[in-house]
Amino acid sequence: MSKIGVVRFPGSNCDEDVCNFVRAKGFTAEYLWHLDQFTIADYEGLILPGGFSYGDYLRSGALSARSPVMKSVREFVSRGGPVLGICNGFQILAEAHLLPGALVQNEKRRFIDDWVELEFLGKAKFWAAEHPNRMIRLPIAHGDGRFYADADSLKKIEDQGQVWLKYRGNPNGSLRDIAGVLNEQRNVAGLMPHPERAIFDWMGGVDGWSFL
Amino acid sequence: MSAGLAGKLKHYRISQKEHDRACELLGREPRESLKGLEWALFSALWSEHCSYKSSKIHLRKFAKTMNSTVVNAAGENAGVVDLGQGERIVFKMESHNHPSFIEPYQGAATGVGGILRDIFTMGARPIGSANYLCFGEPQAERMPALVDGVVRGIAGYGNSVGVPTVTGQTNFDPSYNKNILVNAMSLGLLRPGEKVALSAAKGPGNHVVYVGAKTGKDGIHGASMASESFDENSEAKKPNVQIGDPYFEKLLIESCLEVLQKDLVVSIQDMGAAGLTSSSFEMASKGEVGMRLHLDRVPVRDSSIQPEEILLSESQERMLLICEPKKLATLQQHFSRWGLDAVAIGEVIAERRVELWWKGEKLTDIDPHILVEKAPVYERPYSLWKDKNRAATPDELKTEPGNMNAWILSVLADVHGTNRQDVYRQYDQRVGLRTVRGADHDVAVLRLPDSQRGLSMGVGCRTHVMKLDAKLGGYDSVLYPILQMSVKGFSPVAITDCLNFGNPEKPEIMSEFVAAVEAITEVSMATNAPVVSGNVSFYNETLGENIVSTPAIGVIGLRADIKNIPQDMFQKNNSIVFRLAETHVFGKSAFPTFAESQGEKALLFGEINVPALARWAAGLKELSLQSGVLATQMVSRGGLALSLAKMCTAGLGFRSEGKINFFEISQEFFYQAIIEVDEAQVETFQKRAKELQLKVTQIGRVQPGSLKIGEWVDLPVTQIQQQYGSGLRGKIESLA
Repeated sequence: MSKIGVVRFPGSNCDEDVCNFVRAKGFTAEYLWHLDQFTIADYEGLILPGGFSYGDYLRSGALSARSPVMKSVREFVSRGGPVLGICNGFQILAEAHLLPGALVQNEKRRFIDDWVELEFLGKAKFWAAEHPNRMIRLPIAHGDGRFYADADSLKKIEDQGQVWLKYRGNPNGSLRDIAGVLNEQRNVAGLMPHPERAIFDWMGGVDGWSFL
Repeated sequence: MSAGLAGKLKHYRISQKEHDRACELLGREPRESLKGLEWALFSALWSEHCSYKSSKIHLRKFAKTMNSTVVNAAGENAGVVDLGQGERIVFKMESHNHPSFIEPYQGAATGVGGILRDIFTMGARPIGSANYLCFGEPQAERMPALVDGVVRGIAGYGNSVGVPTVTGQTNFDPSYNKNILVNAMSLGLLRPGEKVALSAAKGPGNHVVYVGAKTGKDGIHGASMASESFDENSEAKKPNVQIGDPYFEKLLIESCLEVLQKDLVVSIQDMGAAGLTSSSFEMASKGEVGMRLHLDRVPVRDSSIQPEEILLSESQERMLLICEPKKLATLQQHFSRWGLDAVAIGEVIAERRVELWWKGEKLTDIDPHILVEKAPVYERPYSLWKDKNRAATPDELKTEPGNMNAWILSVLADVHGTNRQDVYRQYDQRVGLRTVRGADHDVAVLRLPDSQRGLSMGVGCRTHVMKLDAKLGGYDSVLYPILQMSVKGFSPVAITDCLNFGNPEKPEIMSEFVAAVEAITEVSMATNAPVVSGNVSFYNETLGENIVSTPAIGVIGLRADIKNIPQDMFQKNNSIVFRLAETHVFGKSAFPTFAESQGEKALLFGEINVPALARWAAGLKELSLQSGVLATQMVSRGGLALSLAKMCTAGLGFRSEGKINFFEISQEFFYQAIIEVDEAQVETFQKRAKELQLKVTQIGRVQPGSLKIGEWVDLPVTQIQQQYGSGLRGKIESLA
């Protein structure tokens, strides 16, 4: 059975949830510890889950982006391996410059937990590649989810089709309503909403199911 | 009494009698040495907060509520409730009122942290949190900042540790203007095969291991602070408030659960109120053993810290555990992987004495029973409860009809009646993948991952009822949340309490306390929902003014599945709406019912009938499982018309049928429920109600567009939604 690595930092709190999602989809889930490097050939894909890694001290994701495990993650990315960052995982990938832009504090400077409407604009390799819907509904839960990039980068992201998901009804002040972005090669994807929290009917929605 | 002794008693908040008792138990005076270390030990462990000295004899009544599902109730942080199929839960609610009033963010945050430690110290993973908050009037001094700070504190801590905050209650009343209440509840789950951890120290020669954050000078004397009323100098108590770090807590949760499940720990306890002192003395006392502790081995943040400060510091995120010598190295490896130090600071000894050492010198040596088991117990003066605020005849409760439309709209936008989403949207409600229903519902529901059953979580205690009659309020604190669960098809499993009261030395306060405890016990027994844990917070008094007595209750309920749980709002056009009532007490309206808005005095008529209501709750639960039941709600504060208006907030309206008098829609009835039933299934519903001996009265139908109740109410649904949607931010600017 093919394996998905779930990168676990101290303070990750959606790590177990992501493993449950990965297993529900028929993959093997394996934790990758922040202090260790790993054999990249062993994994079909990697997910960086949500949470407050390293307490989000300094800036969200800033310390994690510089942890030993990220060396292997970079190598995995450079060989074209698919990597997904969810919420704090997205913040880490942005801090590591594996994705463009930055995530800063929500416009109203408060944590927001809610369901949001989203629209797919771009297409990632592997992640949600076969998603049946263009418009979807997923939960968000973040304090630092406002997407930011300077004007030149923003233009580049848009021109190159690197906007993955947009909010319909912007919850946090993200520039251009951006909820998720891709790298140029489309193998690295990050989003603030939580697909793993919308995979069964009883959760209130199933639009997260096809992200994997 | 010498002047020196009088000063000391005042300083350590020990009474003359307690001093005499301490001398008798020790066989000598507490020592003066080390800045009065022994005095400080008595001050902390004999404080109201740690010893429950004023409440203990009354809390013993809860013992008779136990049933066969409860294991390990005695002497632990909380009883473990067996749900069958290998699944067990642990839950508890605790107050953090005093610190939250002084410093709202940290006070509330550390309240959440403390209750989480009470849960995972028993080996259970916390899977849901709730809170019960009471604030003063929005315009009261500091109130907007207190509301904002408390909510941010709960969010800041709870969200980081990855435990969803799924429900809560937020009340406003002037009696909390100078003493807010912040009660945090947490629920933990032990999955099949997972072991319960206990706190009694065992095995002479075993190590006493300190794990977690380093000890600093924060929170020293916190326990004694919480055992005292507030005065003008409360601001000066800021240094007594602890500072929390949820990141450390998250590491502690994961690492402690790991070492517990790997069987590397003999026993474990968190360092809560009175810090290392209470955990070490309590663990030794419970295990009938002693401990030799080397305080100079405790990891400290500040090298100038003195031994008595180490003992009493309430630095957060620390645990004390007992470990066999052969397992110490493995235990330390596990913690070190999580970046935590686990330091052996002493050992268990056979003789029941706690020896405290500092750099090779023995500071003191005391039998732990003296400080724990033999703490003083008081039977403070109180009087037997007599019904309060009762009308002589039901006719006295009648109100002149008035403008119901205007009243409904105003209540839906005021702090008592409006939507709470400005609060709960700041809480992560879904982390953990167990949340079926979060804080936007009447009753929160979590899914048990192994059996796929539903667990409901709710809190109770309605200030406006407590104000009228503390005994009725005590009944209501338990009955109301249970009934809210019943109409969603859940049976109560067990309850916890957090008893917030004023000064217990005042007989009128103590009388309310005793009445409430008796009421809780009675409902608990009648509904077969044992009281498995609890907390008492006395001295909620500022400058001689006491809060409304507030026995907050947490209830956990169980349902065989999570399918087709009735919704809260009207669901389907043209479906039939029924009213069910089992009324023993009528209220002329406790605010914000119509009567009081007309300036009339709130009054009650009648007496509660607990067995009848317990049977009714069981019947409602069965009826709510019936197919065709679309939406259900207990009629809440304000009466039938207001509850019907709330059921319209999802977009569908309602029209009444037949004659309906003003009395019925404006008064408060203890209790009544509303059930919406699909028209196609009304017959089977009525048949089932008959079998269950429940009287159901058809009162109207769901319709689009507007709410129409007799000649009294006619409102467009959009206007109802708009008012209700204005939320707390409409009245409390700090939440905008």
